[in-house]
Amino acid sequence: MSRKKTVIVSVLAIIMLGIFLAVKEYNKPHINVADTKPDIITNSQGLLEDFQVNENSANKKYLDQIVQVSGRISKLEASENNDIIITLLNDKSPLGTVICHLSPDENKKLINLKEGQDIIAKGICTGYLMDVILVRCVLVKI
Amino acid sequence: MKYIYAIFTFILMVNTSFSQDRYITKQGTISFFSHSPVEDIKALNNQVLSIMDVESGDIAVSVLMKSFMFEKSLMQEHFNENYVESDKFPKATFIGKILNIKDLGNTGIVLIEGDLTIHGISNKIEVEADIEAEGNIVSITGVFNVLVADYDIKIPSVVRNNIAKTIEISFSLNHKEYN
Repeated sequence: MSRKKTVIVSVLAIIMLGIFLAVKEYNKPHINVADTKPDIITNSQGLLEDFQVNENSANKKYLDQIVQVSGRISKLEASENNDIIITLLNDKSPLGTVICHLSPDENKKLINLKEGQDIIAKGICTGYLMDVILVRCVLVKI
Repeated sequence: MKYIYAIFTFILMVNTSFSQDRYITKQGTISFFSHSPVEDIKALNNQVLSIMDVESGDIAVSVLMKSFMFEKSLMQEHFNENYVESDKFPKATFIGKILNIKDLGNTGIVLIEGDLTIHGISNKIEVEADIEAEGNIVSITGVFNVLVADYDIKIPSVVRNNIAKTIEISFSLNHKEYN
C-alpha cells in the first residue's frame, strides 16, 4: 500500500513540476538589455558600413545581438508614445545612418541629451532598412 | 532583397526636381492582432519605413520582422524562429499605388493596390485607408486582414488553436515632406 502511495505521489510531483516549468517558460521575461553585457561593441560608422557593404552577412552577424554603439547625436526626437529616438550622425553621406529607439525606462534622461553630443548606447539590432535599427536601447554613457 | 532596395532608391532619387512630392516616415507603426479562443496575440512595430509620392500615388513600405515587439518573449521567439523565419526573410514589404489620390482634398478614403511580401511570398492586395494631409504631414491609416496560409506560414498542430487563421494588420504612417 505504501509503495502505491509513493508512486502516486511521485507521478503527481512530476506533473506539477512539468506544469510549473511550462508556465515559467510561457511567461519568461524579455532579455534585460541594461543588465546584459554587449555581444558586439562598435561605432555608428562601422555598424552602418557593415550593413551597406553586405547586408546578408551583417544580418548574420548583428541580428538579435546586443550591440553597443558609440556615435554623435544628429537628431533627437520623441516617438508617438513619447519614447526617445536618437539618430546618430553619418558625416560621410546623407543616405543612411544608425537609429536608436530607446526603451521607455530611459525617457527621464531626455533632459541630459542634446544634438551634437557624443554618446554610447546599447540595444538589440533588428536589421537595416535605410538605416540600421537598434531597439530597446539604453544609454551607457552620456 | 537587392531588388527591393533598388525600388526604394528609385522612388527617392527619381524626379529630384519635384522633391516636394515625396513624403517619408521612418517611424511608422504597424501592429497585428490574432484572436483565438485560447489567447490573443498582439505585436507592435514602431520602426516602419514608408515612402510615398503624393503626385503619382506610388507608395513603398518596408518593415523588419525582428522589430515586432510582443508582450511575451516566448511568442516573439516563436514568431521569428518558427513562423515567419526572420533569419531567412528579415523584411516584409509592400509596393503599391494609391489609386484615387488625385481626386482628393485634404482628407478622404483611398484605395491602395499593390504587392505585399511576407515570408518570401508576394500576393496582390487591395486596402482601403484613410488619408489626411495637414501642413507638411501626410498620414495614412487603415486596417486589413491577411490569411496566414496565403504566405506559406506553417503553424504546428499543437498550437493551431492558439493562432488565428486570419490576422488583422493595422497601420499608421505619418509621412513628413522629404528634403
